[in-house]
Parts: sequence; structure tokens; C-alpha cells
Amino acid sequence: MTQNYFELFNLPEKFQIDSVKLQENYRSIQKEIHPDKFVTSPENEKVQSMIKSTQANDAYQTLKSPIKRAKYILSLHKPVEKITLPPDFLMQQMEWEEHLEAIEKNNRELAQFKLTINKKYKEYSLLISAQIDDDQNWSDAAITVDKLYFVEKLLHKINSALN
Amino acid sequence: MALLQISEPGKSTMPHEHRRVIGIDLGTTNSLVASVISGSPAILIQDDESNLLPSVVYYSKKTVQVGNDARDHQSNDAENTISSVKRLIGKTIDDVNQDNFPLNLSDGDGVINIKTSNGMKNPVEVSAEILKILRTVAENKLGGELIGAVVTVPAYFDDAQRQATKDACQLAGLNILRLINEPTAAAVAYGLDKKSMGQFVVFDLGGGTFDVSILNLSKGLFEVLATHGDANLGGDDFDQAIVNFFNNKYKLNIKDIEVQSMISILAREIKELLSNKKEVEILKEINGKEIKETFTQQQFKALVNDLTEQTLKATKNALNDAKLSTDQIDGVIMVGGSTRMPCIQEAVGNLFKQDLLNDLNPDEVVALGAAIQANILAGNGQEDLLLLDVTPLSLGIETMGSIVERIIPRNTTLPVAMAQEFTTYKDGQTAMIIHVVQGERDLVDDCRSLAKFTLKKIPPMVAGAAKIKVTFQVDTDGLLSVSAEETTTNEKASIEVKPSYGLSEDNIKTMLQSSYDLAEEDKISRALAETKVEANQLIELTQKALDADKDLLSDSELTSIKNDLKDLINVLNSSNNDKIKEATKQLNTKSEPFAAKRMDRSIQKALTGKSINKLEF
Repeated sequence: MTQNYFELFNLPEKFQIDSVKLQENYRSIQKEIHPDKFVTSPENEKVQSMIKSTQANDAYQTLKSPIKRAKYILSLHKPVEKITLPPDFLMQQMEWEEHLEAIEKNNRELAQFKLTINKKYKEYSLLISAQIDDDQNWSDAAITVDKLYFVEKLLHKINSALN
Repeated sequence: MALLQISEPGKSTMPHEHRRVIGIDLGTTNSLVASVISGSPAILIQDDESNLLPSVVYYSKKTVQVGNDARDHQSNDAENTISSVKRLIGKTIDDVNQDNFPLNLSDGDGVINIKTSNGMKNPVEVSAEILKILRTVAENKLGGELIGAVVTVPAYFDDAQRQATKDACQLAGLNILRLINEPTAAAVAYGLDKKSMGQFVVFDLGGGTFDVSILNLSKGLFEVLATHGDANLGGDDFDQAIVNFFNNKYKLNIKDIEVQSMISILAREIKELLSNKKEVEILKEINGKEIKETFTQQQFKALVNDLTEQTLKATKNALNDAKLSTDQIDGVIMVGGSTRMPCIQEAVGNLFKQDLLNDLNPDEVVALGAAIQANILAGNGQEDLLLLDVTPLSLGIETMGSIVERIIPRNTTLPVAMAQEFTTYKDGQTAMIIHVVQGERDLVDDCRSLAKFTLKKIPPMVAGAAKIKVTFQVDTDGLLSVSAEETTTNEKASIEVKPSYGLSEDNIKTMLQSSYDLAEEDKISRALAETKVEANQLIELTQKALDADKDLLSDSELTSIKNDLKDLINVLNSSNNDKIKEATKQLNTKSEPFAAKRMDRSIQKALTGKSINKLEF
């Protein structure tokens, strides 16, 4: 199955994805090929089911996560290279980090900050969708994906602080 | 008179064959065996009419006793009476607190040795004694040899503990269909019984282990979202809290094995009585000291508060990993004898603010679930159910500075394979130590060391130029294999290991041989019979596959498979085991691409005719 992950799940190669169908199709596939279905089968089928089931899990995890999905699409179209984020974003990044440190123990402020960052997350997701699905602008999309990656990590930190 | 059935040529020759399979719950305190009989799972009852076999083994000079008979020796010959062996399996002597075991433990080259009147025993051998009894019970009740067994392990068991459990099964002559996780097995029993759907928590507190799993139950598929736990926390520890209380208050000798054994038994009685009573009166003489005490439920609750909190913390961690909150949980399934403790029920009930599901016997539910799963895996049942389980602990390797680099994160769906590239530290470096560890901490010393091996013959290059790809693979039993290769040059240095824990393949073989003293002739004819069964099955299924899907093959591919098939049929009537094996292997290898194509076709069939839902990110 050196097959394209989107083809495997019978989905169009787009950043915007039908996540319900992705999950349904993933489950349908595992029901066909999971090693548990081949416990009493000959060796050749056991080997292949192990390989395919592993690949289906990997493909599913890749397409389920927006960042991994975006990176996967980009990898199909351009060689992976190191991204340099623009200076204004790096500044913004530092401000956010400092802000989080300052409000770490204030749940109300944290909840507020979470809303702001969630908005950013949506904004970058929409932008990636336009850059990948509409414009096929792989270079710009790669930068936005890195920004989204940072924002996701920041959200994770905010959630940890909230707990 | 009913008409006799004759099958069509090439179709299955045994359409209604029922494969004899069992489910085993190998518990810290008690073990059970179950099977699906006439469509319903049932515990197979021991000869003494009990459903539970105490997981206790007694070794005297000449005999081995298991179960109740063995437990009777606990107070008079504690050193030779091994209970809670599950707390020792797959561990090294450094992993256990010897004070908790009234046994003579020592290091036996990576495994724990237990000194008995019957010689040195290791936990794998002791566990195998318990499994042998369960196997015999099952064979007697089901009327013949078993095809295989599903054996349960705590979800939080690490790779070493799983492998050791598998070794014990092999030693007991059981063919393992699958190791499955205890909470998952419980969910199967509940889910199928109640036709439940939604997000469920399984809270499984046994005699020596604690697991909590979050599952999504839908029709035909049970998906584990996250699992957490503590492989060293169970009812035994709650007993120990009472033991410590008495030791302190009455200044009992903690080095005296007999005294400690008596006080352990007393502690357990108190705990069990407090499950139904508000208080218990104790009046007992131990070693000349009078013990007089009124023990209340409140007092007990306070003594074990830390332990209860530990279980709640793990539960919250699991919910976090599953990205769910308590109000999104549709049901909480209580499993394991220790969930009978009122303090546990109260704590869990308060956390989820709902009634707990405990209407299936918490001692039996794991074995029943294992039996159902065995039945499904063997293809007996009408039930269409697939279990998707996860790795309980992260897996990684040691890098510079004793830091762990994670390769497979915890709670990843199985089976999984993940790879990562590493490089050399010094110019001209030609070898690299790959140290495999399991755990959530960043420092190697805080994780469980699973295996250490050396990748040699790396071509000399400047530091940082070599690319060593390390691949971790975890199968559906939760067992790991690791491979490493240098990828920049054609001169491939590579190695593949299955981590093994003290017991090598040879050790197991030796132990197996001494336990089955079959005559040489018997061994040969048995091996030949097994080879023939396998060959026959392959022939039958290959023919079936060709009938259904030969259009997937080119003419030359078809001819090639047919030739190998003919070769196998030709050697089948000989009594040359090696030749039959050879031909079987040949056909298997040749059929792999065909199997792959057939699976792709079945995927396509499964995915056609599904509608598109709404798009999102």
C-alpha cells in the first residue's frame, strides 16, 4: 500500500476533509483487514494484514490531524525544507509566550487568552485551506502550517495551565 | 431423518466445525477460565465446584499443588507457598520490594528466582502451573484438545510482563490466539451483553494491578481511546495498609515470615468483611500477643485514602488523554474484586456523578470477555466485533545525556510501526548502542529498560553523517520488535531484535522439553500431523481464494501460484515433514502479493456506496 492516503480512504486530496467519512471509512477498512480477522488464516494473509492494518493506522493518524494532513499534502508536491518564519510572527510568538507566563495562575485571563488563540487557530486553518485547496501555493502554505503548529502547541500549554 | 450435508468441491470441508477455544483471566489473587458454550459465555467450573482458582502454587519436595490446596499451606509453610506471582512476572529483583513477599527471592540472571523445596522456580514457571490447571479443567469440560486461548493481561503491563505471560502460556502448552487487555475484555462482556454504545470508562482494580481504560463502543467496533493505570497497585496494597497499621500498633516483628503471613490473612478478612459491614470486631492471638480491635469502615477509608486518590488521578489522566470530560461518559464499568470496597465505589461514583455498572460479577467479567473474544477470533461466533486497542506506555530509545527520545507515544492504536533517524556522535564511529526503554519520563533511569543491543559495522564517516533508522513495531498482542539500519550507504548494517527478558528462546525450549517428556517417535508423528493440518488448510484456502479472485492475477502470476499449489499437494502424502514445510512456506511467500491484492479489493468493496458528509478542518 504505497497508495496515497486520500485514495486509501476514498477521499479527495484536500486540506478540508469530511472527518465523519474519514472515521467511518477507517473503521470499515480495519474491519476488513485487521490481524484479528486473520487469526486462523495462512501465513501469507497474516503477514499482509499486519502490514496493511499498520499502514491504515498510520494513514488515519496522518489525515485526522490538521497539521499532519497539511504536511502530508505538501510532501506530495514539494520537497521538505526548513521553513524560516517571518520576523513579525517571531515577535508575536514571544509576546504570546510572555503573556501566558504572566497570566499562568489566573483562570479567567487564561480562558480569555484561549479564545484569542482559538481564533488564530481558525484563521490559520482557513488560510491553509485557501492556500492548498484553492491556490496550490505550496510555499506559502508551508509557512502557515508552521504557524499553525506553533499555535496548536500554545493552545496545549494554555489547556495544561487551565487544568 | 435429517439429510447429510456434502460440501461443494473447493469450498470449506468442515462448514460447522466449532473450534474449541477458551478465555483465561490469569489474576493476581484468582484465575478463571471461560468458554462460549451454545452461544453464551460461561465460566468453566473447577472440580471442587468453585468458579475461581486461587492463584497460589505450593511446592513440596516431590509435588506441586495449585489453588485451594496450595493456599492451605500459606500459614504453615509460607516460604514454599507462592501467591501473587503476577506481581513478580516479567520483573527483575530490583523492581520488587522483597518485604512484601514472604518468599526467598534472588536474582536469577535477569529473572527473579524463588527458592522452594522443589528447587529454584521463576515466575514464568509458577504462572504456568496455574495455567496448566486451567487448561486441564477446560479440556475436561469441553471434551478435547484446545485450539487456542485468549489470555488477559493488565492494560498497564509493560512489554516485559506481556512477553513473560506469553512465555508462561507456551510453557503450559497453550496456543495463544491473542493477549488482550483486562479492561478491554470486560468492556466486551458488558458491551455485547447490554448492547451498549457510547463512551465508557472501565475501572479495573484487581488484586495486584489497576487499569483504567476509556473506550468508544459502537456497533461492531470497540475502540480504546486511552488507557492508564498502575501495574503495582491493587487489593494487596489495601491489605498491606491494614498490615502496616497492626505492625505499628502492636509492634509485630516484620521479619518473621509466619507472623506476617498470619497478619496478611487477617488483614484480607477485615477488608472483605468491611465490604458489607460498617465495622468488624477482632480478637486474635498472634505469636503470644493479643490483638483486640474494632475496625470501622471510616478507619479503613482513612488508611487507604492515598491509594484511592492514586486510582482517581490515573482515571483523570486517562480522560485527559482521551480528550474527554467526566460529563461526556455514558457509563462506568466496575471490574475486579477490589471494586467491591465501598470507599472505591464512593470515590468513583463521586467523580463521574453517576451510578456505576457492576451488575456482572466483577470477578468473572474479564474471563467472560476473553472467552467471547476467543470465540470471535476463532471464527465460531456470529458476533461481528473488532477490538482496537492501544499501547499503554510510550516507547523510545536512549540518546546522549541519558535522555529518552520517544518513538511511539502512549495510547497509539495497534498495530503500529514508527521510525526515527539518529546519527553518530564521533568521527569514524562504527557501532551504536540502541537502548530501548518504556515509560513516560524523560530520563532513561526513570523508565523501564527493555533491551540493549549494538548495531555494528556502520561505515566510518564524520560525526553526524550516518543515518541510523530505528523502527519500532508493536503487534496486536502489544509486543514490541525493534530494527535498526544505516541508510546512507549500500553496505547495510542492520539488526532486528525481539526484546527478551532473562528467559531466552532456548530457556523456554529447555523448560518445555522437561515438562513434556514425550517419546521421540510421538514428537515426530505429532510434528508431522501439525504440518499436514497447516498445509491442508493452506491448500483449501488458496483454492478458495483463486476461485473468488483469480482475475486479480496476471497469467504468469496465476501459473506460478498454481504450480506451487500442485507441488504442495504432491508432497502432502509423503511423510517428509521438511519437504511439506518447505512447500508450504514457498506457497505462502508466493501468495503474499495475491493476499495483498485481495485485501485491497475487500477494502474497495467496503468503501463503495458511502455518502459524503460535511467538510471541516
